[in-house]
Amino acid sequence: MPMLKAESIRFDYVYEDEAPQIVLRGVEMEIEKGSFVALLGHNGCGKSTLAKHFNALLLPTGGRMLVEGMDTAHEQNTYPIRRRVGMVLQNPDNQLVSTIVEEDVAFGPENLGLPPAEIRARVDEALAAVDMTAYKDHSPHKLSGGQKQRVAIAGVLAMHPDCLVLDEPTAMLDPQGRQEVLDTVCRLNREQGMTVVLITHYMEEAALADRVMVMDEGVVVLDGTPRQVFAKGDRLQALGLDVPQPTALCAALREQGVDLPQGLLTPEECAEALLKLIQ
Amino acid sequence: MRDMTFGQYFPGNSFLHKLDPRMKLVLTLLFIVLVFLPQNWWGVLLTVVFLATVVALSRLPVKMLFKSVRPVLFLVLFTALLNVLYVHEGTPLWRWGFLHVTTGGLNNAAFIAVRIVCLILGSSLLTYTTTPTALTDGIERLLAPLKLVKVNPHELAMMMTIALRFIPTLMEETDKIMAAQKARGADMESGGLLRRVKALVPILIPLFVSSFRRAYDLAMAMECRCYQGGQGRTRMKQLRTTRLDWVALSAYLLVLAGLIVLNILL
Repeated sequence: MPMLKAESIRFDYVYEDEAPQIVLRGVEMEIEKGSFVALLGHNGCGKSTLAKHFNALLLPTGGRMLVEGMDTAHEQNTYPIRRRVGMVLQNPDNQLVSTIVEEDVAFGPENLGLPPAEIRARVDEALAAVDMTAYKDHSPHKLSGGQKQRVAIAGVLAMHPDCLVLDEPTAMLDPQGRQEVLDTVCRLNREQGMTVVLITHYMEEAALADRVMVMDEGVVVLDGTPRQVFAKGDRLQALGLDVPQPTALCAALREQGVDLPQGLLTPEECAEALLKLIQ
Repeated sequence: MRDMTFGQYFPGNSFLHKLDPRMKLVLTLLFIVLVFLPQNWWGVLLTVVFLATVVALSRLPVKMLFKSVRPVLFLVLFTALLNVLYVHEGTPLWRWGFLHVTTGGLNNAAFIAVRIVCLILGSSLLTYTTTPTALTDGIERLLAPLKLVKVNPHELAMMMTIALRFIPTLMEETDKIMAAQKARGADMESGGLLRRVKALVPILIPLFVSSFRRAYDLAMAMECRCYQGGQGRTRMKQLRTTRLDWVALSAYLLVLAGLIVLNILL
């Protein structure tokens, strides 16, 4: 059974006295357990709206959204789904509830009605998983952006989810904070087999995933490994997206007649290929 | 301003820090009764000795504790002055026109002043030795009977927690907006009162707008984390009354009994 399955999801925002605004126009996708998927697209392409379907914050106006086989449209599934699909939002300041880090992490499990000892154990485990144990007694507002975002991730982890959906979690962070959050997410995916859906604007972040999906005008238009997707530089540019800088460099060099392979993603790969060429 | 720790919690590990916040809240309320009970100086002396013992047990820096009296110093002096001038009992000491100073007046003034200072010191002990979270928690549990009259104490406590959580965030934001408006030539430091109040409008409006946006985000984040109100919710940190709490309550009751005896005998 796939972790997340979207069956031709449509979604319209309906305003009074106005034509409904169609945001999703039949999204089809299947995300397997344990995979790391990056979801790309320019502003307003519907990727955040789609993400809100993953944990039943929004319900499709057409089609079906299945989370581990559970239909989000059925009300009795709402909370089981939200426990399984944890969501981290963009602004770290706006998603922490409590004045103390460990109590904030405890918020989710407390809502699940778990016994206190179990909550304690989960909180300690979740803080250790994001490497924030040393800050458990601190006040969130004194932490850096990256630290706050890691606390937010811990808050979700403490509910023992099967899937982590991150909606542009690094958009408001400095480079160091971005790196901290990405390292944490990658580690969770590799070491604990956590399914990760990362919505992002940064191509370098998407290159870390093992699958990249690109959305445009409410549908998925490209889907494949980062290598396959970023090889289509022209198509991406037409969609208002960039390719990672190393890929762009290689593409430009290839146009000038330099013999480089397609689909190099990281600076290291790029440097290696160039070195080989020079030698 | 940004480093303001909200509330005035002073970390420590004393007898007072270890008390159950519920017991501390109740005892603070009871202490207020205690302060207004004595009818003579012996009773006041007993209250002061009791308070001094509690302060010593709290191991808080006394200087810091007295800082909490400063904001009400004016009130203390003002009530004392009124008492000096308007209570005409005992031997007259000094008279000028309609102003009389009598021994009774001085006595009353000192009596009131000591009581108010005791009151402030006693209640600030609560906030100095209890974290805001523990306080909110204590209030939530103490107000549990309100459920009977359809008031939800969990919601009240949640509101307090969120307010405490967001005050520093909003203060930071205010600083930013002020800087942004100043950069656009806003003048907030000159002019009369009315002009200054008007100058606040361009700060308050963006602050409100962003607060609503934050509230929307926070509500969503809370829903993502399965929040469904207080029902079926458990807590990680359980409040427990220990023997210490009963010792504290007994000590209070002893002093109370002492005061009543003093009131009757003297």
